[in-house]
Amino acid sequence: MSITFSKVSYVYSPGTPYEYRALDGVDLTLEEGKITAIIGRTGSGKSTLIQHLNALLLPNEGEIQILGRTIKAGEKPKNLKPLRKDVGLVFQFPEYQLFEETVIKDVIFGPKNFGVSEEDAKKKAKEALALVGLSEDIYEKSPLELSGGQKRRVAIADILAMDPKILVLDEPTAGLDPMGTKEMMSLFYRLNRQFGKTILIVTHDMEQVYQYCDDVVVLEDGKVRIHQDKDTFFRDAKECESMGILPPALIRMKEILKAKGFTLSENIHSVDALAEALREEVRNG
Amino acid sequence: MGNLTLGRYIPMDSPIHKMDPRAKILAMLMMLIAIFIPSGWIGYGILFVIVSMVIILAKLSFSFIFKAMKPMLFMLVFLLIINILVVKTGYVLLQMGSIVIWSDAVFNTLYIAVRLLLMIMITTCLTATTKPLDMTMGIEDLLKPFQKIHVPAHEIAMLISIALRFIPDLIDETMRIMKAQESRGVDLKEGKMMERITAILSLIVPLFVSAFQRAEDLANAMEARGYAPGQPRTRYKQLKMESRDYVLLICAGLILAGMIGMAVL
Amino acid sequence: MKSVEVKNLFFSYNGNDMTVSDVSFSVEKGSYTTIIGHNGSGKSTVAKLLAGLLEKRSGTINICGYELNNENLTEIRRRIGIVFQNPDNQFIGSTVRDDIAFGLENHCVEREKMDEIIETYARKVGMSRYLDKEPGNLSGGQKQRVAIAGVLAMAPEVLIFDEATSMLDPQRKDEIKKVIRSLHDESGLTILSITHDIDEVAGSDNVLVMDHGKLVLTGTPAEIFSDQDRLNRMRLDIPFSAQLIRSLNKKGVRLRPFMGMEELAEELCRLRSQK
Repeated sequence: MSITFSKVSYVYSPGTPYEYRALDGVDLTLEEGKITAIIGRTGSGKSTLIQHLNALLLPNEGEIQILGRTIKAGEKPKNLKPLRKDVGLVFQFPEYQLFEETVIKDVIFGPKNFGVSEEDAKKKAKEALALVGLSEDIYEKSPLELSGGQKRRVAIADILAMDPKILVLDEPTAGLDPMGTKEMMSLFYRLNRQFGKTILIVTHDMEQVYQYCDDVVVLEDGKVRIHQDKDTFFRDAKECESMGILPPALIRMKEILKAKGFTLSENIHSVDALAEALREEVRNG
Repeated sequence: MGNLTLGRYIPMDSPIHKMDPRAKILAMLMMLIAIFIPSGWIGYGILFVIVSMVIILAKLSFSFIFKAMKPMLFMLVFLLIINILVVKTGYVLLQMGSIVIWSDAVFNTLYIAVRLLLMIMITTCLTATTKPLDMTMGIEDLLKPFQKIHVPAHEIAMLISIALRFIPDLIDETMRIMKAQESRGVDLKEGKMMERITAILSLIVPLFVSAFQRAEDLANAMEARGYAPGQPRTRYKQLKMESRDYVLLICAGLILAGMIGMAVL
Repeated sequence: MKSVEVKNLFFSYNGNDMTVSDVSFSVEKGSYTTIIGHNGSGKSTVAKLLAGLLEKRSGTINICGYELNNENLTEIRRRIGIVFQNPDNQFIGSTVRDDIAFGLENHCVEREKMDEIIETYARKVGMSRYLDKEPGNLSGGQKQRVAIAGVLAMAPEVLIFDEATSMLDPQRKDEIKKVIRSLHDESGLTILSITHDIDEVAGSDNVLVMDHGKLVLTGTPAEIFSDQDRLNRMRLDIPFSAQLIRSLNKKGVRLRPFMGMEELAEELCRLRSQK
């Protein structure tokens, strides 16, 4: 199974002075079961693209196939609830969606909207909160009195409790500190590898892409410029830089060393592996 | 990406855009008064032609005006129904079983519709051609004479200008929160009473939280840059009335006088 | 000369938990200092205290020779400028021009002088072509440039950046970092930057590390990055070159505790040719 975009275009405020073509004939096939990074400059259409996945935005042209459904331009889709449940969308700075009196109520809200019974919703909510690493003592707290990082976790638990098959995240680590970022990314990695969720992440952070993602989609001016597996993508550091993308530090370091005559294998993907290779070269000349 | 058109500034290079906001505000007030003078259909016809000319001069499109009118349609339909039920004068236009539609019911509604359309056209002529800050400066200057009776003209102006500055941001924010909650299965359009109340709460609570956050950030930024209410400050933007502004005021005055004349005769 | 001197600073939002607890430090005039720490460590609160936006519990703050108190507040605000994190929430004017003018108006600068000042600082941050644009038509990075120009127009001696690049995409982030750099290198301003950006930290003169409201570590980047375990415990990042050096040291390749990537590569070349 896969998610397919065929010639999808989307125009904001058509027919007004503010008209803006955010997606322009996007052709894209995303395989389920992978972690795919969606990258590109601000205004390249990333956020617009992901909002098509749960039909928050409907294409002006083209069609999208997702989880056995087809969303066609010009057709008003009926009964979107199952799609909204199966495609969990986490917006940028999602902590702004919290509104209930207590954390647990906020997390129950989603599953209940999709017709899950109170009891089952509570069970799902507790599982989701445990997954994001929040303990029981905050269940009855107001979400508004939590720290920034905790709010973010609750907001993500909100979506996880709906038990989506596909999880879509718009810059989920923006504003978190380095350790918070690491914990968050490890969570998505685990959701993918252990629970088989398909994950799409919009991000600017190449270190994350390099460490946690399988595939990379680069958007440029509303079009797909590149869709590759991450190793192929980062192999050519020059090409990355030409698109205004700063490659991960490890790749940059390797490039600098290669330019100075070090021979380093393509298979070096960690600091320790790089250190080991360098030690060999420095020792043996 | 708000689709709201009412009250939005449209940057264009037109003679109306260049006019002094004070002249435009005063002219608008005179025209609004003129609308409420019962000068009959001919009077409204003349007003409509004059305002249409201003709109063309300001390089605004009529579709923009009608978009601004759209939200009012619901109100008008509601009004028509009430009028049909209540008004029983004039002559019978239509009779369907027990429902009788009297001519005055329709004309009354039409009358209100025309006034509403004129009002929206006139206010749009002001808001679409005047930058929010110019508008507040105009208001501030016009309120100055009232400072003697302790009307805080400057604070009012600052308040309005900040409100205007943040309306587009708050609309964007509302859209964003709506989408986030829709992704959590909220249905803002359908559902039972209780569900709808929760749906609205899910929108309003986050909106308030974010508005307060904004307000705090903004207050910090203003204070850090030396702003303190009530403290004397200089002003960068200066307003200057030119001959065309006086012409505008005289024209508006003449129109108002003409309408009063028509109503009296 | 010290631009900023803080002694035994305490602050609490609710009266019980100290958000800032016994913090003392000083910032040399013309230096580039970074403050790091996990979210909630109190670093932004320190910035707000320095700008007089929050009232301290106890302790003293001295800015350019003036002690921060209610009488000196106006004098201090002329000497210290602060650029905040969110580009949208600090744009006050309706156009770039008006926004830069806002601070000038507050400081009662004469109208006749404003245009020249506005144009000078707009040029400095590369926004000359956008003077009549409205915030809705600007990118986050451009709004931050305007915020910097607005603060610079008041001719401060000390500039505080409170995570000013954290909401920008990588290209804009780099651009703003370059602007900040040039303000330090060319205009000789004292810079105090609160940041998570490890490269910015590595390039600064001094680093202050905060943890749970306390100032726990101060020093040059090289000194700070030599204690990686401690930084890790405080949930902080370490530059890639420092991680690599540590790994190499463990494997028996002896190197200085901190170098940038280029420098490290050259050092490795030297070691290789020695064998």
